[in-house]
Amino acid sequence: MSDIATTSAAALPAARSGPAPRHRLWRLTQGAGLILGLYVLLYALYAYQQPRALDAYAIAALMNNTAPLALAAAGQTLVVLSRGFDLSIAGVISLCNVVLAVYPLEGPGGALVSMLLCLAIGGAVGAVNGWLVAYLRLQSIAATLATMIICQGIALVILNAPGGYVSEWIADELTGRLWGAVPVSGLAVAAVVGLWLLVRRTDYGVALYAIGADEPAAALSGVNVRRTRFLTFVMAGMLYGLAGLMLSAQTATGNPNSGAPLLLLSFAAVALGGTSLSGGRGGLFASVMGAATLTLLQKVLFSSGVSSFYTGLFQGVVLIVAVVFSGLLTRIGERK
Amino acid sequence: MTVMNENPTSQARFQQSGDTRRSARISAETVSTLAVAILCVALLVGARFISPSLGSWSQVETVLVLGSFLVVLSFGQGLVILTGGLDLSLPAVATLGGILATNWVGASDPGAWYLLPLVLLVCGCVGFLSAAGIVWLKVPPFIMTLAMSIIVSSLLLGYTKGTPRGAAPDAAVALMKGHLLGLPAPVLFLVAFVLLGWLFQSRSIYGRYLYAIGTNVEAARIAGAPVTAMRILPYVISAVSAGFAGLMLVGYSSGATLRMGDSYLLPSIAAVVIGGSSILGGRGTFLGTVGGAILLTTLGTIISAIGLEFGLRTIIEGAIVLTALLLLREELFQKLGSLWR
Repeated sequence: MSDIATTSAAALPAARSGPAPRHRLWRLTQGAGLILGLYVLLYALYAYQQPRALDAYAIAALMNNTAPLALAAAGQTLVVLSRGFDLSIAGVISLCNVVLAVYPLEGPGGALVSMLLCLAIGGAVGAVNGWLVAYLRLQSIAATLATMIICQGIALVILNAPGGYVSEWIADELTGRLWGAVPVSGLAVAAVVGLWLLVRRTDYGVALYAIGADEPAAALSGVNVRRTRFLTFVMAGMLYGLAGLMLSAQTATGNPNSGAPLLLLSFAAVALGGTSLSGGRGGLFASVMGAATLTLLQKVLFSSGVSSFYTGLFQGVVLIVAVVFSGLLTRIGERK
Repeated sequence: MTVMNENPTSQARFQQSGDTRRSARISAETVSTLAVAILCVALLVGARFISPSLGSWSQVETVLVLGSFLVVLSFGQGLVILTGGLDLSLPAVATLGGILATNWVGASDPGAWYLLPLVLLVCGCVGFLSAAGIVWLKVPPFIMTLAMSIIVSSLLLGYTKGTPRGAAPDAAVALMKGHLLGLPAPVLFLVAFVLLGWLFQSRSIYGRYLYAIGTNVEAARIAGAPVTAMRILPYVISAVSAGFAGLMLVGYSSGATLRMGDSYLLPSIAAVVIGGSSILGGRGTFLGTVGGAILLTTLGTIISAIGLEFGLRTIIEGAIVLTALLLLREELFQKLGSLWR
């Protein structure tokens, strides 16, 4: 099965983009080159404005702010690659946050149990989504909309107003630095990206890209479409769980609506990273960088003295420009 | 996804009886519209068993008034979805309409007769900008309208400095609070709006163009449809109707807030999908969408009348949306349709 799946996945983009697809520009847009460049440029601007931006402390603070959105966007990327949308992201993050704030478990052991709990919550919601979308063939937007509302409701039942305290160990250690230099939150995101680089080379990874690019062709090539789609939602849910954990570590308190702001931003991050919303093209690392760019943009605007009212204006414009630009590069790359 | 759904029985039937596409399509849509309507009535009547105050005519009026916002919003959303897009900027544009109306027009400005259309024009321009990005810059609709939504919200935040002022225009208040012929004005407006919306989407040439484009853009182009104009139109209509919904919201609550549209984004999509439209475009009717919107509003009022705590109410609402989706699955109706023929 793996042979067939590999050839079909390799053949599809080639067929789409003409006889000489491996052009340098084309490869640039497939990877994270564009968004990485944008991030470095923005960081240079930030460091120019704020010389202290290169401190270990400032870097850790930035990564702490970035991690929840980065992990959420990473999960969303998986679903988008399979040509779906996952709105349950907001519900899962709120639910995890509320559970951590209402049932704080102290110490490293407690943190481990908390993490497993978050993964379990995310995985369970993901499994329901996967079952609804892959096996009952509901439209992904509609099905995950329903699960999002239900999760949001459960979160409200557990904690009906902002409050509670996340365990100290989680709030301190997950936002701290290892050996005074390496931010733990950055490490967590890096671990997820590293894991993904391995997973995308498995049969599952190839199948994911294949069903996103052309589902009938993938199915005809022997890819188990249902199982692949199901697994995608489960893994995405677990990533939202991790995002909920990191968000709780950062805010140190519970809020039944804490996940809502991340819903649309996660799509913005995915799009900024150049992942195609029609599936099959893009990558998880690019979305993580997209999330990092959106977060950094806020800091740069703040240090430039732009009123925080207009943050959205710049985020929106950057989003449109980035998407237009990456589309342009792809087209130039395909023409040559 | 679509190709995978093709079940062998429907193919066999297709070969047996020749070209039954037209009748099959209309039948499936009518069935799902009827199912939603029956569900609505059943819920309203059934609510009597929960509490005697429910299921009365005054409750029906309440549902229709509260549902009118969602119907207007999901008309635009439905047109955009019909052409295979999605409009995430609805809440922001509705808020724009409401805020401009209170800021520019105020309670009893004699210039309301040209200022209110101007507000709608500004909203239409936002829709046109979204459409321009989608059609000419080739930005996916999801991203373009998302970006537009973030931009408009941020501009409004800056414009109002975080605290919107001003009062609702008299015309908007009259529309939402007035009575005519013994009926609440919004109910009469709703009936007129639904009729016009249905005429536009199902009986006008423009509506047919939109179906054609949603089914297959290239085929529509070859068939001579003005594809570019018809891809722009839904976004403009959607923005204007969102702006109008903003006016209605302002008239109903006598003032504007910066988040007044937020809670309508997901319901506007849900109403269209529950009404039997395909999120991929090309299928669905406005009457179905109206049913979906009224169904969602009915559920909301019944659930809030039961007096459960907010969290449990939310869970029940989600579960019911899910049940409706599962019951109204397209395959189910195709199977039912084939049984009846």
